[in-house]
Amino acid sequence: MTATKAARASGSTWTRSRGSTWLRSRTGARVVGIASSIAVIALVELLIIAGAINAFVVPKPTQILLAIPRIIAEENVLHRFWQTAQEVIWASLMLAVFGIALGSLLFRFVGLRLAFEAWVGALAAAPIVLMYPLFLVIFGRSTTTIVMIGFAAGLAPVILKTLDGLSGTRKVLIDVGRSFKLSRGQQFRKVLLPAALPAVFVGLKLGLIFAMINIVGVEFLINFGGLGQLINELAERYDLPGTYGAILFVILASVLFFAVLERIERWLRPVE
Amino acid sequence: MAAAGGMRPDSSSASHRVWLLRVAFVVIALLAWEALSRSGVLFKDVVPSLAAIGRALANVLSTRDFYANLGVTAQEIGIAVVIGGVAGVAVGIMLGANRFLSQAFESLLLYLGPTPKIIFFPVMIMWFGVGTGSKIAMGVVSCFFPIAISTAAGMRQIDTVLIRVGRSFRASTWQMVKSIYLPAMREPIVTGLRLGLGVAIIGTLLAETKLSNRGLGYLVIQSYALFDMPKMYALLIVLFVLSIGVNAMIGRFSHAQRRALA
Amino acid sequence: MALRAPPPDPSTLLDVRNITKRFGTGEEAIVAVDDVSFSVAPGEFVSIIGPSGCGKSTLFNIIGGLTGDYDGSVTVEGSAVSGTHPAIGMVFQEESTFPWRTVEDNVAFPLEIAGAPKAQRMERAAHFIALVGLQGFERRYPSELSGGMRQRVAIARTLASEPRILLMDEPFAALDEQTRLLLGDKVLQIQQTLQQTTLLITHNLTEAVQLSDRVLVMTYRPGRLKRSVRIDLPHPRDSEVVSSAAFGQFVAEIWQDLREEASRGVEDAESRVRKGAARR
Repeated sequence: MTATKAARASGSTWTRSRGSTWLRSRTGARVVGIASSIAVIALVELLIIAGAINAFVVPKPTQILLAIPRIIAEENVLHRFWQTAQEVIWASLMLAVFGIALGSLLFRFVGLRLAFEAWVGALAAAPIVLMYPLFLVIFGRSTTTIVMIGFAAGLAPVILKTLDGLSGTRKVLIDVGRSFKLSRGQQFRKVLLPAALPAVFVGLKLGLIFAMINIVGVEFLINFGGLGQLINELAERYDLPGTYGAILFVILASVLFFAVLERIERWLRPVE
Repeated sequence: MAAAGGMRPDSSSASHRVWLLRVAFVVIALLAWEALSRSGVLFKDVVPSLAAIGRALANVLSTRDFYANLGVTAQEIGIAVVIGGVAGVAVGIMLGANRFLSQAFESLLLYLGPTPKIIFFPVMIMWFGVGTGSKIAMGVVSCFFPIAISTAAGMRQIDTVLIRVGRSFRASTWQMVKSIYLPAMREPIVTGLRLGLGVAIIGTLLAETKLSNRGLGYLVIQSYALFDMPKMYALLIVLFVLSIGVNAMIGRFSHAQRRALA
Repeated sequence: MALRAPPPDPSTLLDVRNITKRFGTGEEAIVAVDDVSFSVAPGEFVSIIGPSGCGKSTLFNIIGGLTGDYDGSVTVEGSAVSGTHPAIGMVFQEESTFPWRTVEDNVAFPLEIAGAPKAQRMERAAHFIALVGLQGFERRYPSELSGGMRQRVAIARTLASEPRILLMDEPFAALDEQTRLLLGDKVLQIQQTLQQTTLLITHNLTEAVQLSDRVLVMTYRPGRLKRSVRIDLPHPRDSEVVSSAAFGQFVAEIWQDLREEASRGVEDAESRVRKGAARR
């Protein structure tokens, strides 16, 4: 007991005392986190049953959870998932090809870089997805629109990180290339590009995340496509548990997507 | 750190070249646009002539209607950033300062962060109605996460040495906050706010396009519904100029602050 | 006292004549290298030693062709050097292995550039990997190796391009003393086996005497060649030689010159700090 008191007096949160060591450990914290989330959900359930929260605005958590298997069975979720995935894949391919190419172009020609790098930076901060009505007009209410918006939204970070990676190559590696009399093309392919790969991948990861977020968002907005459309439909049908359930489902899907990207990045990293 | 891209040229000819390239790019883009418009390759109204866009721009900027809607949107965004900012900074500080809390709850933020927030909109409508409330709520949900995450990271990066120095001089909590935490946190908070503002703009405007009868987003979707393409282009141009401008100003402001303190 | 330029000799491999390199112009100009001339015969191991700031690395970059814009000339086997030259192989001080390639892919790199077919490349690479004592590590990545092993990979890679002269800039600077001695051993062995002409830039006295046939001492800035010392220790040598009396004599002899230059370097640094403080 005195150990904890002393720890608290010194203001340090890092000190461990024997009794609560496990609780203060990392797994302990995680468990507490999950436990409190469940506690909050349980509290909401009780409040709804008690009538403190209107069941027509917030359906019972148990109902929401029950809605999920129903949605999966009835709403062709797998097919929708695949549709969204396809859109993301197309956008990723375009991002990789054009993003890396443009980034390399800016690197190769210093004049272009000096003139336009700032513009690309501004593009990264711009609300590109707001142009979706425009894309609708140009490409119609189709998968192409969704893919194009995903591509446009994710392009800037890929270009910038590619540029960053190429120009950050350690000087000694470039000197090695020069000492072996590499041509400009060889230097690019065999030294600069491999050296830049970690940064390029970070850029692609960022671009993919932006693309995915915007793709699902636009699917919702224009009521077309895969998962985003699902939420919209259920909402329009006033299927409350279904809507909440679908939102939950999409969140889980995006969390999974994000986790997979992190895994891939960590897998590529050890070669550094 | 140097690269084969080329050496740094002397500054005056370099800045000339920069301006030349930028102007050339814009001119070529405009010419290409006009050519596309006149050629009729795409359905004519999809690519209106520069003159038509110009007229629409002038129209838009001169009507009271536009400014009223701009005001509505700006208000929504402003309130959203204030609420989301305060909440985000508060949560960020708590998570950053306390390792236990951070390990318990921060991963929640990190995983919920990169999700398409607009999908929460139907829920926001149910909770806050079809008026500005749901748009503000959308903005809050959008900007809360980047601000909280950035603040938490900033808290953790404060040099623990500085904190120990403060403690060794027996500084009071308020003195610690004023002399150590606040100065150290300024930059991560500004970065978080900048990012938060960007996503709040997006969240609020997208919500307006989905369901609203006021605001800039509403104007954009209305021009789409009426197929008034010149007006849509004009509105989008204004929107982009404003948001890039605001972002640039914040950037300039934080740089100036940094230089003043240096 | 600058060394007089030797008369042109057809049996020299590397001929460095009257190299002068200035940085900046006018009043502010720094002369890094001042009228340096020397030559290296085929099969010879020459070290250039000097205090920090004497322009050795500048000389390295000039001879290797990485730096242009200097007075004087560099010739390898009669042909002038301007820009990097295939007959000159360079080993750098910093980490220079490609982290994304395995050891064998690193060593095979120059052969890959030359367009050799895969089987042949791998065979040659294996040969040089064994030469530096890294057999068994072919499939590893540089991040899995120690600093000394990585430098051996870099050396093997340069040797794989079969340069007429091997140019090394303090390749063992980042390593601890024991590893240095053992690696130095290895390098000497290889040099003897291949009869590889080598020019080593170093600040380490024991290393210079241990490995070289001749040691050239440079002055502190502006860098001039102060003296040339012939190291008459027997061949084959190994790291045991550092304990011999003759070794000690050579070290003492060179240290006399080196100490003078090194202390000038220290004084110069101190006076610069004093001047800088006085300005405030």
